[in-house]
Amino acid sequence: MDFITGGFIKAFELLLWGDRETYSAVYATLLVSTGSMGASLILGIPFGFLLGYHPFKGKRHVRTLVDTLLALPTVFVGLMVYAFLSRQGPLGEMGLLFTLRGIAIGQTILALPIVISLTATAVEAMDRHLRITLISLGANRRQLLFSSLWEVRYGIVAAALTAYGRVMTEVGISMMVGGNIKWHTRTITTAIALETNKGLFATGIALGLVLIFIALFVNVSVSFLKRRY
Amino acid sequence: MNPDIYQIERLTHAYNGNPVLRIDALTVRPASIIGIIGPNGSGKSTLLKLLAFIEKPASGRILFKGVPAEPFAESVRFQVTLLTQEPYLMKRSVFNNIAYGLKLRGNGADVRERVMEALSWVGLEGDQFAGRRWNELSGGESQRVALAARLVLRPEVLLLDEPTASVDAASVQMIKDAVFKAKKEWGTSLVIASHDWPWLYEICDEVRHMFRGRFFGTCEQNILFGPWQPASHNAFWGRQLSDGQIAEVPAPPSPDAVAVIPSAPISILTEPKGTPAVCCLKGTVSRLIHEHRSGDIVATVLVGTTPFTARITRNAFRRSDLYPGREVFIEYKPCAVTWCS
Repeated sequence: MDFITGGFIKAFELLLWGDRETYSAVYATLLVSTGSMGASLILGIPFGFLLGYHPFKGKRHVRTLVDTLLALPTVFVGLMVYAFLSRQGPLGEMGLLFTLRGIAIGQTILALPIVISLTATAVEAMDRHLRITLISLGANRRQLLFSSLWEVRYGIVAAALTAYGRVMTEVGISMMVGGNIKWHTRTITTAIALETNKGLFATGIALGLVLIFIALFVNVSVSFLKRRY
Repeated sequence: MNPDIYQIERLTHAYNGNPVLRIDALTVRPASIIGIIGPNGSGKSTLLKLLAFIEKPASGRILFKGVPAEPFAESVRFQVTLLTQEPYLMKRSVFNNIAYGLKLRGNGADVRERVMEALSWVGLEGDQFAGRRWNELSGGESQRVALAARLVLRPEVLLLDEPTASVDAASVQMIKDAVFKAKKEWGTSLVIASHDWPWLYEICDEVRHMFRGRFFGTCEQNILFGPWQPASHNAFWGRQLSDGQIAEVPAPPSPDAVAVIPSAPISILTEPKGTPAVCCLKGTVSRLIHEHRSGDIVATVLVGTTPFTARITRNAFRRSDLYPGREVFIEYKPCAVTWCS
């Protein structure tokens, strides 16, 4: 029990005195998660809206496929991205293996089905009177699209938060595609895995606390914005 | 001469292949009020959605000011607005809900004054309500805010779908006053679907009756549902009403056919005449409505729980000594009954 208590005390010291190795992992995590979330939201929201709003042939099958991808194992995504980015893979020339960009690509693939599926669910749950109301107030097609998206903003935020949670906490992609290279591609989760293997609980707990703090900060910010808008 | 606001020509509409509307012709003149009465599912809301250019009809066309128009057309986008029965308020403040349409029109200069003015038209205090969120309003307040969001646009055409249904009495009066103001001050043309007969007869230039997606003209219709059975004592068929009396009709096309009895051939009598080949039913006067346009009285007589509507001229009414609660007899010739396919 003492080593856990000691770990917490040491963790606060590492964070308060600005341990460079710890903050390097935090920086790498924030960078790749921001990149992957940005990409998955830019791609996922329009796809999710189309999937939830427009009837088209084969929609049910597409929906089933997207929902299945919600359960994508991170190690499988890591494996496939590794295979594509490795020297002998089709994208090997791009030199993205063992880079933060490579991790971001893998995390985008992980987050995309979540954003698409939950956005589609939010759009499907949209009140049927919204469309009538917007058109009858004079909205054109473009205004109808953007106003409808604004109406389901809480659902989209929930989708983004869920995806962010998955991206922030995954280990498989970061480990396989990033290679857990110190000062370079080591993220919070890969660092925790490594430090635990080494028996260095303090750094692991410190990084874990940072993860929880980031999650708290994001949720408090979203809650504030929700009250305001 | 101003062109008609709407001209409908051979309009039909269907959902999933099921026909829901068939209107051969309808004209709405500028600054007029058309009332639409009909049971639930008769096609009133569908007609209003087509008039609001929210949906495209399956066939036929709607001319707006003499020009064919369709959804999102620039010629109608800022002229026509619809208030649905269940108003939808966007997830934003009352102020932003009302200002939304103004902003779409690029009217950004005096938005605040206009929003406050629109709130006052529907009897809501601007300072108290403008900052409230959409989910901080009662049902009646939501309906009034939704109406204010339409009135602030000073539309050329205002389409109202059951605007006074499911709101409290105070809200009903506010809504009625605001609607009348739109017509009086801006010459707005209105098409109102409502179950509030007295209100429609008071304010409308024309009241149309709908059933199963079709107009039955401007006269009230009594709709009687089957099943019909052959009468034992004459050639007619009949259906037992809730008080045991039999409403007689000619031989129906099928036992479950829907009978239509126009109000005009129905007579209200204080004593039965005993005329042969006439169906006579005893009932109680439940409602008397004065039709503003013609001066006629539209009387509803309850036979058991079935309402029968009859039309009486003003002079005949003066001589009749009718009042709500009075026991009377209604008479109609079964041969006047038509069948709804």
